[in-house]
Parts: sequence; structure tokens; C-alpha cells
Amino acid sequence: MTTPHPDGVTLNDYADNTLAASARADVDAHVASCGECRLMVEGLREVQAAARGLAPLSPRPEAWRRIEREMRATRVARRPARWTWLAAAAALVLATFMGVKLADRLRRPAADATASREVATAQSVEAELLQAEQHYQNAIAGLEKIANSEKGSLDPQTASTLEKNLTVIDQAISESRAALRSQPSSEPAQASLLESFKSKIALLQNTVALINEMRKGDNAGAASVVSGLKPKGT
Amino acid sequence: MTVDRPDGESPDLVARCQAGDVDAFGELYARHSARIFSLAVRMAGSPETGEDLLQEVFLQAYRKIGGFKGDAAVGTWLYRLALNHCLDFVRSRQARMDKATDAIEDDGWSPALAARRDTPIARMDLERAIAQLPAGCREVFVLHDVEGYEHKEIAAMLGIAEGTSKSQVFKARMKLRALLT
Repeated sequence: MTTPHPDGVTLNDYADNTLAASARADVDAHVASCGECRLMVEGLREVQAAARGLAPLSPRPEAWRRIEREMRATRVARRPARWTWLAAAAALVLATFMGVKLADRLRRPAADATASREVATAQSVEAELLQAEQHYQNAIAGLEKIANSEKGSLDPQTASTLEKNLTVIDQAISESRAALRSQPSSEPAQASLLESFKSKIALLQNTVALINEMRKGDNAGAASVVSGLKPKGT
Repeated sequence: MTVDRPDGESPDLVARCQAGDVDAFGELYARHSARIFSLAVRMAGSPETGEDLLQEVFLQAYRKIGGFKGDAAVGTWLYRLALNHCLDFVRSRQARMDKATDAIEDDGWSPALAARRDTPIARMDLERAIAQLPAGCREVFVLHDVEGYEHKEIAAMLGIAEGTSKSQVFKARMKLRALLT
């Protein structure tokens, strides 16, 4: 007796040899006795084999020229705007000025200070520290903006070293802040926070310098900057 | 010593691409554009759209290669980017076309369709026939029969049931047989 034709998807699975073993035996038996289904299976396999053997297609030569043009235009467009550099430079000048001013205050001897003047001086230093911190943060934000917008131009190893160094410096900043929270007038903690900010700015400046050298295609200049980016804290 | 990757890309080429070197991208394009273009043309069903997708993929690669960590060969990374981009294209077109696969009748096979071909299927004929498949079943067919993905993978990529993927491949093969006879 001839069994009914299996449905199309079942025959398709059979043709692909993905049918469950239990169902396969029934289809095997049907296909062996049904010429139409045998032809169908052959046909499905023929299409599948032809599709698998398709050769790659080549795009027209002008396709690359179009892409190349876009890439070169993108390369120019993605450079940070001039105002970004100017803003970063202005913030950097202010941060440096505030840092120098505060460092000077911290170095000044307090031998002749009375108790009440000491308290007043401590409060004033704290206020200046806050102000300097704000300026450092502005300078850092400006430099980070430039560095992040062009991070893709750095090779992975250099980018990874920079990331590691930044992590070490950020850790030092966090520790100095924690120390200052418990002892707001601690001069070593204040000095350490200032030093950490300076280190972060120096590292970001180096990053921006490196990006500049790579952009100019100056490999020697880039190598010289990279040599100064040895991993910290190791 | 420069160690070549399995797909022939040297770390130097990747580094140059990451530095934004457009000529290095030209080398990457020469090696991988055919595979990506083939996928795009067959998924889209037209060489013009395929070329647009190819361009978008390479521009996306240009923007994103900075984040390439080297965990896989750059060719694999590029192909994955292309596949995702083609899938996005398919999904947005499906949303617009309200599933054009309905154009093929459900499981409409009959033994009468099982005619034997006398000559092997010519490649160009098959390419033309694939382009004529309705959107929906064409992508599933290309992913399964040309690119070699399993139904389970295709179902996950396109957000459809595995059974739907199987039925689409069957419908596509039937339609192709009809177009090629």
C-alpha cells in the first residue's frame, strides 16, 4: 500500500539529512516507492548544492572609489573642532595657574601663625583647593574630549597602556579625596590630590600629542611620545 | 617577526586601519569585499542595494575598527559587521513591506511540481532566480543554503520560529525550481 506523501517541510528536512531518525525511516520507505517524492528530494538537493557552490560576486570598481572618497571626507570631519582645542588650552592655563598658586600657599611656613589665623588659613586653603580642583576637572574634561574623539587612531597596545595609566591615576585621585574627606586640612593629602591632577593632565597631554604625531604621519615623533607612556604602578 | 593571521591579515594591516589609514582599508576591501558584496546583493535582491550596503558596511568598519580587539580574524569581524548590517536592512524592509512572504502560498507543493531538470543549474541563472524570490524567504534561503547557517541560528538572527525558517527555505527552493525549469 502506498503511504500519503510527506509534507513539503518534512521532505525538505529529509533532503537535508536533518530529519529525526524516527521519522526518517517512514520517509525512506515512502521515497523508495514514490517516484514523485524521489524527484522532489533530488530537486531540493540540486538547488541546495547549486546554492552552496555559488561563486563570490565582485562589486564594480567604482564602488571602492565611492567608499574611499567617503572615508577621506570622514577622516577630515572627525577631527575635533578648533574650538575644542582652544577650550582645552584655556582650561589648562587656568588649572596650571590655580595649581601653582595653591602649591605656593601649601609651601609657606605657618610658624608665626596664631591658632585663630591657622583655622582661617586652613579654611582658605580648602576653598582654593576646591576652586583649583574645578579648574583641573575642566582641563581634564577638555583633554579627554579630544583624546576620546580620536582614540581609534591609537594602536590597541598603546591605548591599553594609556587606559592602565589613567586607572592608576584615577585611583590615586580617589585615595587623596578619601583622605581629604576624613582630614580636610591635611596638607599631604591636599598636595597629593594636586599632584594626581597634574599627572592626569600630563598623561592626557601626551595622548593628544601622540594623536597629533600619528595624524601628521610622524612615526619618529609618535615613538618618542609612546616611550614616555610606560605603564604606571608596575 | 610579523605573524600573519589565518586569513592572511597581518597585525600591521589592522594597526594601519586602526590609525585611520584609508589605503590600508583599501587592502582590507580588496580581500573581503567580494564575500560581503555577495551576501549583501543576495540578501537585498539587487546589485544596486548590495553596493549601497557594501559601502555602509565599510564606512561603519572605518568608524568602528578602533574597538576591534583582535579576538578573531579581522575578516571574521568584518563579515559579522556585514551580516548584522544586512539583517538590520532586512528587518527594516520587512517592517515596511508587511511580510511580503505571504506572496508564496503556504506549503504549496504538489508532486506535479517535481519535474526533473535535464541540465545542471547555471550559476548566473540561479543568481537571477534568487533575486526574484520574494523578500522574506530570500533572506532565509541565502542564510541557510548559501551562507550555511542552521535553522536555529537563522531563527535567532531574524526573530522568527525555527519552523518558519524551515518552511521558508522549502518555499524558496520550490520557487527556484519553478523559476529555473
